[in-house]
Amino acid sequence: MKNRKYRTYILVWLALVILTGITVSMAGMDLGLLSIAIVLIIAAIKSGLVLSYFMHLKYETGLLFKLMIPIVLAALTVFIGLTFSDVAFR
Amino acid sequence: METHRDDMGSKIGMWLFLLSEILLFGGLFILYSSYRYKNPIDFHLAAWELDRVLGTFNTLILITSSLSIVLSIFFVQKGNRRLSGLFLLATIFLGILFLGIKYVEWTAKIGHGLYPNSPRLLGRSKGEILFFGLYYSMTGLHGLHVLIGLFILSAMLVLVMKGKINEHRFVPLENTGLYWHLVDIIWIFLFPLFYLIT
Repeated sequence: MKNRKYRTYILVWLALVILTGITVSMAGMDLGLLSIAIVLIIAAIKSGLVLSYFMHLKYETGLLFKLMIPIVLAALTVFIGLTFSDVAFR
Repeated sequence: METHRDDMGSKIGMWLFLLSEILLFGGLFILYSSYRYKNPIDFHLAAWELDRVLGTFNTLILITSSLSIVLSIFFVQKGNRRLSGLFLLATIFLGILFLGIKYVEWTAKIGHGLYPNSPRLLGRSKGEILFFGLYYSMTGLHGLHVLIGLFILSAMLVLVMKGKINEHRFVPLENTGLYWHLVDIIWIFLFPLFYLIT
């Protein structure tokens, strides 16, 4: 089990490198708004990998660890929503 | 005599700090997106001027340094302090490399006369001034976090070498790792927003 963890870390690193390669090559194409969406989705996937494997959130037990990231993301979403409802309709 | 230790408590404390950091950078990201929304063409033009190769290189450096700190924690838990120290040293080296590249990048920009309040920048459009202002403040704040991380990592290296951090007590190193990964995550978002989306 413990040795498998070591391999998981290297696989996660490999995935992060590949995803970086994809975003950089994606940016070369001119897809307009779609490319912003793709680049942000890939960044979200990358941070999800770092959070769950490198920062061990996947292995933590307890309600607090399960809830804190969703709560912070929800707070940020509210801020973003409120800011944009102001900026967009001003 | 038994001293009181609360590993879970210190980890939760670290996470609370990290969550406040997410909100701090989150606010800056919101500022960036609303200015970008207001000045799409200026942001597009200004982003072209950033060095994409150096940005990509720095992304790979931080990702790799995240792997090396996680391996350092892995080995200290297994009781191999020598390997743990080596991976910590690698993390410190990669962090210094990141700052070195940032230095080269900033120097080139400043050499081109592009720095806050420079005559050349003030002659440009409002959106481009905003872009470079955000570029310097956000990558600067991130760089400050890397610098602080380097001091903490060095302190951890000393503790690992002295045996103060060992297979029975490794929470400080784990918390350092959490901080370092968060700095990595922030860069994962900064990089596409400033260098890639044009």
